[in-house]
Amino acid sequence: MLLDFDRLGWWRWALGGFTAAVAAFLLLPIVFIAALSFGSSQWLIFPPPSWTTRWYSELFADQRWLDAALNSLKIGLVVTVLSVVIGLAASFALVRGRFRGRETLKALFLTPMILPVVVLAVALYAFFLRLGINGTMTGFVIAHLLVALPFSILALTTALEGFDKSIEDAAILCGASPFEAKMRVTLPGISAGLFSAAIFSFLTSWDEVVLAIFMASPTLQTLPVRIWSTLRQDLTPVVASVSTLLVLVTIVLMLLVALIRKGLSKP
Amino acid sequence: MTVPFLKIDGIRKEYGPVVAVEDVNLTIERGELVTFLGPSGSGKSTTLYILAGFEKPTLGDIRLNGQTLLSTPSHQRNIGMVFQRYTLFPHLSVGDNIAFPLKVRRKSKADVTERVREMLKLVRLEGYEDRKPAMMSGGQQQRVALARALAYDPPILLMDEPLSALDKKLRDELQHEIRRIHHETDVTILYVTHDQEEALRLSDRIAVFSKGRIDQVGTGPELYADPATRFVAEFVGDSDFLSCRVTHSQGGRANVVLGGDFAVEGVPLHDERGTPGEGALLLRPERIDLSRSEPTGWRGLPVRVDDVTFLGSNVHVIAQTGWGETVSVRLPFGHEHISGLSRGDEAWLRFDPNEAHVFV
Amino acid sequence: MSSLTESRSVTGRQGGRRMPRLFGEVGPALPAFLLIVFFFVAPVVALLLRSVLEPVPGLQNYETLLGSATYIGVFANTFIVSTVVTAAALAIGFPVAWALVVMPMTWSRIVFAILILSMWTNLLARTYAWMVLLQRTGLINKMLMAVGLTDEPLTLVNNLTGVTIGMTYIMLPFVILPLYGVISNIDKAVLRAAALCGANRWQALTRVLLPLAAPGMAAGGLMVFVMSLGYFVTPALLGGTSNMMLAELIAQLVQSLTDWGLGSAAAFVLLLSTLVLYGLMLKFFGTSRLGGQ
Repeated sequence: MLLDFDRLGWWRWALGGFTAAVAAFLLLPIVFIAALSFGSSQWLIFPPPSWTTRWYSELFADQRWLDAALNSLKIGLVVTVLSVVIGLAASFALVRGRFRGRETLKALFLTPMILPVVVLAVALYAFFLRLGINGTMTGFVIAHLLVALPFSILALTTALEGFDKSIEDAAILCGASPFEAKMRVTLPGISAGLFSAAIFSFLTSWDEVVLAIFMASPTLQTLPVRIWSTLRQDLTPVVASVSTLLVLVTIVLMLLVALIRKGLSKP
Repeated sequence: MTVPFLKIDGIRKEYGPVVAVEDVNLTIERGELVTFLGPSGSGKSTTLYILAGFEKPTLGDIRLNGQTLLSTPSHQRNIGMVFQRYTLFPHLSVGDNIAFPLKVRRKSKADVTERVREMLKLVRLEGYEDRKPAMMSGGQQQRVALARALAYDPPILLMDEPLSALDKKLRDELQHEIRRIHHETDVTILYVTHDQEEALRLSDRIAVFSKGRIDQVGTGPELYADPATRFVAEFVGDSDFLSCRVTHSQGGRANVVLGGDFAVEGVPLHDERGTPGEGALLLRPERIDLSRSEPTGWRGLPVRVDDVTFLGSNVHVIAQTGWGETVSVRLPFGHEHISGLSRGDEAWLRFDPNEAHVFV
Repeated sequence: MSSLTESRSVTGRQGGRRMPRLFGEVGPALPAFLLIVFFFVAPVVALLLRSVLEPVPGLQNYETLLGSATYIGVFANTFIVSTVVTAAALAIGFPVAWALVVMPMTWSRIVFAILILSMWTNLLARTYAWMVLLQRTGLINKMLMAVGLTDEPLTLVNNLTGVTIGMTYIMLPFVILPLYGVISNIDKAVLRAAALCGANRWQALTRVLLPLAAPGMAAGGLMVFVMSLGYFVTPALLGGTSNMMLAELIAQLVQSLTDWGLGSAAAFVLLLSTLVLYGLMLKFFGTSRLGGQ
């Protein structure tokens, strides 16, 4: 009866109320920064004395913020493409291959996701210093790719496992080459997985902080690094406006994922 | 008048616009085994859930010894239940599963141990006490579930298609066990099933559910010999239906005409308020006789044989009437007119109008 | 089965002779494999080597790390915060996951959307919000004073309290989502059976629902604990300089003090604890499957 909502008696109000409170707790910071970003107080007094778009103007007037955003976008897009392509190839091997040690290989590919990022960051920092690519675009892309790839592989192996290989075989028996069959039959069949892989790879790179803090040079900063270094100095409301925009980006991308899943689940 | 043991009184259950149970009334005596027989969606399970307290009826009342049960929450109803799915607590051993209802009733440790042993003996699973449910077969799990449900000596035991997940052999075996346990414990059992054979085998009485109502309540032979509705006739035993026209009716009997000119007189009539004059004649395949030659002394229904199937102790004949309706007939093996009977042969059917039924 | 053998022959004919079949199957994983080996395994191994090679070969870095009260303090902070965060996330997460399983779809969808949004919102954005919310003149202090829980504003930020609040906030979805999976797999008929057996709600909760959800609690809890051990951003921003956690210590040793030997040793301690805990988790949930189907 504890799993029958209408037979929980007053417990259901307690449970529902508690859940609503937790949902509010989860939502509070997000709504709060959005409100703050339009508040006029330099000292982040809440509720603010009046409303303004001043922080957004300041943000868009500052070339350093725009450069950082552009860098993040560039790195994110390159990482997305690489992560999906490399992840797709690896997923084919992991799902279709019949070699020994397949599970171990998959576990190896997923470890960057579960190990403390700070360890990877320090290790890569040392390594890149030696290679001389610290603070370069290449360095950023490699670092972000390492943490984005597991998400891509997870999404794509799941999608491939759910795709019946005999459909691809049928295409080959119809006369398509194995490559053609993959391009024209299998990839469209797992397109939802491909989109998820792409979006989560992009978001992972776009939001990545820890690796970036170590990677960054005065000349090349990503958006999160810029926020980080600003926050270490003071709590300017400009950060609230950036954060609000970042939340918007997240919402848009999440809606995209939801829409794609919904659209593709319909026949 | 004495107060009935259990009375289901005008139960109705609506889920929004859907009426799952329309109007169910039933009185059950102490110690009876009553099955709720019906197809899925006929309201039998919902009625059982209302008895268990998982659902609240929209209308109606349930009274145990004259006292309403509806205001008592499930855990205080003191009712036992065996579910369709395996519902043993997976984290507890067999012994702890059976002990669970006793422990939540704060029974002493000695009582619990003693009772668990008794129950394991009752369901013939002595020695399985320390097993985890996952290590037992489906049949064994349902035995444990039965033991758990009986451990606290409930006056009523509900069983919701408890054997439907098992294969036929195990099902037969457990049906036998349930009857034995019913005799040994004297518990009142309400048993839901969609399997007529199971219902006939187990029950003292059967309540046939259809579209949220009980069409008829009775013993197996009563339902077979005297079905109240066409639905009951179809659901209990095998049946042939021939369309007919009612020419005259009086005192619960009717004269009917089949296929334009074959008259049958004095057939028991059941009024279901269908189209006036139009009816369906029910025959039981095993109560029809067949002759290869035009009989003398009685008027046979002429048919043409479509198919003859040998089924061991009896032979199944499918025949067609002159106007194109199909009748199946079951004859004992060795019946004088069977040997050499084959497709295309002419034959004449005979039945006793007293054993037939007309549903209008 | 037949389609499998058929497909084998179809693809086999195409790529069979020139390269060995095995390469055809493993080959596509090669780019990912090289990337991981070259930029993940090698750098991490190199880092660990530095912990025993710099400044001179030997275990002196580990001796320093485990022999100094300052560093022991950092380990203690990390352990305490991770434990409290895990306990809080489980205590808050269980009722929410349970509610998500039973509550009507329309409501649970909303809560899920909020969970996913909060999980994927930029970490810095969320941490920034808590920095502002928790400051002395912040909203939380104002509310606490308004309802009379405190007269003076509390110091909620730049200390471990702030870190704990911020991290609990961040870890909640990681407990709720797996627990939701476990609880939604519990057959509600089992709990109905418990009720008919005479268990009241409290007994059904403590004797049936919680034990059945326990594997999920353990798995989710362990994951949160491990993640908390190595968390960097939130402790760095919400914590104070006097109450450091392990990840910050590693970063500081390497970046500010350029003491690579000691920094690597600290990183190794973190890595080892993580691996041991994951190993435990695998051993726990890989072999025995509690809870049945």
